[in-house]
Amino acid sequence: MLNYVWISLLLIGIFTAVGRDINDEVTNTYRNGVPLTSHFETQRKLAAVNPSYEGEIVIPAASFNQFYNISSAQTEIRQPAVLTTLSSGKQRIEMKISDATPVFWKDMAKAAGGKEKLEAVVNSVNTGNQEITFTLEKVRYVKIKAVTKAALDFADTAVTISLGLIGVMALWLGIMKVGEAAGLLEQLTKLMTPITRQLFPDVPSNHPAVAAMIMNIAANMFGLNNAATPMGLKAMEELNKLNPKAGTATNAMCTFLVVNTAGLTLIPATAIAIRAGLGSADPGMIIGTSIFGAGCATVGGLVAVKLLQRLPKYKREMEVAETEEKNG
Amino acid sequence: MAEIFKSVVNLISAVAIPMFILIFLGWGLIKKVKVYEVFVEGAKDGFNTAVKIIPYLVAMLFAIGVFRASGAMDVVVAILSPLTNLIGMPADVLPLALLRPLSGSGSMGLMTELMKTNGPDSFIGVLASTMFGSSETTFYILAVYFGSVGIKNTRHALPAGLIADFFGMLGAVFIVRMLFSL
Repeated sequence: MLNYVWISLLLIGIFTAVGRDINDEVTNTYRNGVPLTSHFETQRKLAAVNPSYEGEIVIPAASFNQFYNISSAQTEIRQPAVLTTLSSGKQRIEMKISDATPVFWKDMAKAAGGKEKLEAVVNSVNTGNQEITFTLEKVRYVKIKAVTKAALDFADTAVTISLGLIGVMALWLGIMKVGEAAGLLEQLTKLMTPITRQLFPDVPSNHPAVAAMIMNIAANMFGLNNAATPMGLKAMEELNKLNPKAGTATNAMCTFLVVNTAGLTLIPATAIAIRAGLGSADPGMIIGTSIFGAGCATVGGLVAVKLLQRLPKYKREMEVAETEEKNG
Repeated sequence: MAEIFKSVVNLISAVAIPMFILIFLGWGLIKKVKVYEVFVEGAKDGFNTAVKIIPYLVAMLFAIGVFRASGAMDVVVAILSPLTNLIGMPADVLPLALLRPLSGSGSMGLMTELMKTNGPDSFIGVLASTMFGSSETTFYILAVYFGSVGIKNTRHALPAGLIADFFGMLGAVFIVRMLFSL
């Protein structure tokens, strides 16, 4: 299933991006090549001789929305801009992207190459009523560019995340190794046997995998994410020692994974912190509801994993593996 | 009651790691384990495990990145939104429900956005934060956990994980609706 989900994400992503860009091109979403007229507010009066002005482009929200056929602009646009006259006599406008920039222009600047500014060619200057007419630089292939950037950026992010795990991984694996050598893991395992035997019938109840899984689940409960992942990976390593066929997930691994993806935690710390930051009267009120939600996820997931593992399709994948093992 | 529970859990969370280190290494000392040598021996595997995850995580994250950057989510939301009304889920939180298993940071941003627009104590605000706390980033966990031991055929783990997410979202909607007596 992962194969199909994975390729679907990619294909849907790329086709949607192409479709949207074609649509943008056809409807001219970004008004490429269409001149826009605005008031230009400066200290000095606009005249033909002055080479450069600093000022603000002022457009009423309604006209801006009408021009781009949007509804996102709420207040009058006051965009700081510099009007320069080149030696050729042509005039240009450069708009620095700032907090004053309307969202639509911010997105356009991002799409035009992630720059901090938007440029425009001045078509005409009306010195009488301080109005200028200008054409913004063309914005094209927005989604395709975004997809390309995302693909490269996320490949990078994946490596950063993985390498970032090295330190905590080493720390916890070291501590676990000491616990293992001291026989502490065995003690812990014995305590939890009644539960783990139900959940992981294929794993011998005195196996080190059990201890690692228990510690992973406990760390998750208390929101110790830094400790939970290394312990979870240790558990996977131990579970893999019981795996008859390398590269294929066993029932126990799938069950363990579902417990983790359900993410049962006693204090959803991230959500509470963000609620507090946004001025909630009772940031912790979601503790109960989150435990209930994650409890539903855990129970639902466990029932699903136990039912799915009986499906002939998934059984066969393990059986084939076992035959190959015998033949090999 | 809720306050006591919260402070107890917070206390345990705060002292858990030092206690854990103390108990494990202390026990090792009592059992005459050469603690330093054994620790270093175990820690050696940290690097290998982290490096082994890289290809799996690259495959997963870049596909999710492409999907999200394309704006395909809007299309999926438009297709699915008639169904959410049936289970009493407001259309506003549907993108969060769909993004939760795909991206941790993405869904966190979306949750924050929903609370900013609707207020953290509004129905949508509470629902969004509950939904965020009711599940984990399934695709990330799948890539990291299976990647670390070189599992390529994940069998029924993904469907089961997504069913778990689905139940988590249903549970969140149910309990928050009850809380607001809707």
